Amino acid sequence: MRQHIKKRFHFAGVLLLGLVCGIIAYPQAVRFIPPLFQAIEKLKVNEGLDLQGGIHLEYKADMSQVPSEKVNDALAAAEAVIERRVNAFGVGEPLVQLSRSGTERRIIVELPGIKDIEQAKKMIKETPFLEFRELADPEAAKPFDEMNGQTKLQAQTILERATKGEDFSALAKEFTQDPSLKDTGGDLGFAKKGTYVPEFDAIVFDPNFKSGEVWPNLVESQYGWHIIKKIEERPASSLSQQGGPASASDGGDGDNREVHAANILFMKRSIDQYPDLMWVATGLTGKNLKSASVDYQSQGVGSPQVALQFDSEGTKLFAEITKRNLGKPVAILLDKEIISQPTVQNEIVGGQAVITGNFTMQEANNLVKRLNEGALPVPIILVSQQSVDASLGQSALKESLLAGLVGLGAVAVFMMLYYRLLGVVAVVALLLYSAMLLTIFKLSVFTPFAITVTLPGIAGFILSIGIAVDANVLIFERTREELSYGKNVFKSLAEGFRRAWPSIRDGHVSTLITTVILMAFGTGFVKGFAVILALGVLLSLFTAVVLVRVSVMFMAGEWMERHPKLLVSPKKLLE
Amino acid sequence: MLQIIQKRKYAYLFSGILTTASLVLLMSWGLKLGIDFKGGTLMEVQFSRDPVPQVSEVEKSFADLSLQSLTVQATDNRGMLLRYLASDENANDRVLKNLQSFDPSVVQLRTDFIGGSVSDQIKRNALTGIVLSVLCIALYIAWAFRRVSGAVTSWEYGLGAVIALAHDIIVVIGIFVLLGRYYNIEVGVPFIAALLTILGYSVNDTIVVYDRVRENLLRSQRKEDFEITVNRSLNETLGRSINTSLTVIITLFAITIFGGDSIRYFGLALLIGVIFGTYSSIYVASALLVTRYKMKTK
Repeated sequence: MRQHIKKRFHFAGVLLLGLVCGIIAYPQAVRFIPPLFQAIEKLKVNEGLDLQGGIHLEYKADMSQVPSEKVNDALAAAEAVIERRVNAFGVGEPLVQLSRSGTERRIIVELPGIKDIEQAKKMIKETPFLEFRELADPEAAKPFDEMNGQTKLQAQTILERATKGEDFSALAKEFTQDPSLKDTGGDLGFAKKGTYVPEFDAIVFDPNFKSGEVWPNLVESQYGWHIIKKIEERPASSLSQQGGPASASDGGDGDNREVHAANILFMKRSIDQYPDLMWVATGLTGKNLKSASVDYQSQGVGSPQVALQFDSEGTKLFAEITKRNLGKPVAILLDKEIISQPTVQNEIVGGQAVITGNFTMQEANNLVKRLNEGALPVPIILVSQQSVDASLGQSALKESLLAGLVGLGAVAVFMMLYYRLLGVVAVVALLLYSAMLLTIFKLSVFTPFAITVTLPGIAGFILSIGIAVDANVLIFERTREELSYGKNVFKSLAEGFRRAWPSIRDGHVSTLITTVILMAFGTGFVKGFAVILALGVLLSLFTAVVLVRVSVMFMAGEWMERHPKLLVSPKKLLE
Repeated sequence: MLQIIQKRKYAYLFSGILTTASLVLLMSWGLKLGIDFKGGTLMEVQFSRDPVPQVSEVEKSFADLSLQSLTVQATDNRGMLLRYLASDENANDRVLKNLQSFDPSVVQLRTDFIGGSVSDQIKRNALTGIVLSVLCIALYIAWAFRRVSGAVTSWEYGLGAVIALAHDIIVVIGIFVLLGRYYNIEVGVPFIAALLTILGYSVNDTIVVYDRVRENLLRSQRKEDFEITVNRSLNETLGRSINTSLTVIITLFAITIFGGDSIRYFGLALLIGVIFGTYSSIYVASALLVTRYKMKTK
């Protein structure tokens, strides 16, 4: 009698477990109890980046410049800086973690749901490099004057050759420093007045300049020295364009003419074409920055300004710089580009400066954020990247869930057809197994061992459905065998469970051995697969052995002995 | 009763040819390695509208981006698959910008980049993983069958299982050499994961048969010839060997057919492995026990 109560008690436990896991796995089942439904619906499976879309980046930290006792501090600092930078993206739950691979130290960054991958990569790695520069000594421009003197001399000799009647276009091909006109022999085509720079324009439209001649002097413009040849000119009417070559006599007057000219350019060089030479370092850079902020007071007046506060060294440097450069411009460079070039009005001793670039509010905010974060303490090198677009993840999820349903359905049909009532029990256990696994996924989020379900993880889950019934197949086959020896049904069942156990145990252990090795193997794909397969194998051992046993023993009774063929298909004795 | 063990020389011949052919294929053609092992970048993009630019046009446009060993391949749904070795971290950005010149709203569906140091490490791990799995399984079987009676020792049971396992994965590798050669299917980390899973799973059937051999040896107390005992054990467990594999084969078929590109070939490798694993458990692993027994008792 006590045995009987124990059986019922166990079976009630199975039912309760099934109910709880069923509701957690499929909250829609309790839609009619809104408070419960809402509470349970909040539980979500932690989807991997390959399903929800996102990017997984792995960086190698270059520790070659860091003394070994400071390695951990430097890494922690780098992790903190990267964490602040990725938090600025505002994507859902970014992850930054340190890992080790042999002697290499790595930093892993995961950004779920990120849209602009390349932008994100830049923001993670790059530190804005802020720098103050002052005008170079006037001496620095001297080499340019010498160079320009020589260029002018050369231009003079070529001009002489051109005026003496040498082929103009051949000379142009050889000597012009305007690469766009090299191939055409300096030919500029027809143009109206006002097309060229004023100095040039004035000459080509000079009425004394006859077609077919070369202008006897060099013409100087902002670009350099020009040797000009007028080829032809004509009235600027559209009709005449169809006519033959026009001559000066039938040309219109003033603005109403078009001139076809050719030109050989000797370029003038000046120091302002070379910012690196024109502006020299002052030693004041972003490292002297104490803080940066957006200057809201200037809002509305123009574009927002970025206010800087230097540290004590920076303050001293800035005071010296402003004193030295009174009335002269200084340049503020961000990532090697001049963003502002203010003229110093008076010496600044307070260590404060503002940058008035053409910022939008957003840009100003970003710049301030990045300036305040500072530089990465160690250089990092990207060693691997996996990124998946959300749309691809969603379709992959759909496909793999379909595969799972088909697999589950087909296995269920096979088990019920082949093993009859015992098969039905196994299938119910299999459904319970799926619900329990989903429940574990959802609840694991609250533990330190949160399980992330990835695409290979789903593959592991589907595979585990096939493996989960293996234990039942072994037990049922053994039961059929015992029945064929003429034992009664109850005895056969008990024997089936008992004698199948060693094979079940050994088989599961061998699968677990390889999943543990796969987990140690470590790459994302493998880990996602192995964790879920291992979990599935362990859990299925529980459902297929314990739950099926409790349920079958609960059902066991007189009726089984009368209808053994209902319970399980009979097996012929071996001849 | 089926005379399986008695016909073992046919199984040996079949498996011998299969493994030799696979090894010859592996050594002559080799597997088509993916970026996991070679390093490099794989980018899948999708154009927003038809007509999709020609592969040759896209290839030409990349000429001045200095990408090494670039290949471009059109896929379904206006997609394109690009493989290249990147010279620096910003290469992806330049590739994408270049593609945007064809279609400004092209989508970067998926990008995998594996650096040289990572792919070297993956190679080492793959090899260590396989060797370690085989060793652990052999050790476990030797331990699990430590109380086995008769002329064949528990170590030889372990060795028999391992030879059958080696046979299974060599055949899978051979088939993937062919798939790589004729269908451009690359192998990467998922393939290694499949091989390790095959090792762990395929041995289950072998364990079931060995388990029965052990049980029958205890019962028969050597009144029966070893060959007959093994053959009887095989016949008694044939149903469950086939059925346990069948349920897994069903789910693997589902993965291979419905699972989508990223897990399809993973499923296929497992499927081939489990099918050959079932075959080798029945025809090879147990036969090896008998062969070993005959060697010892002669």
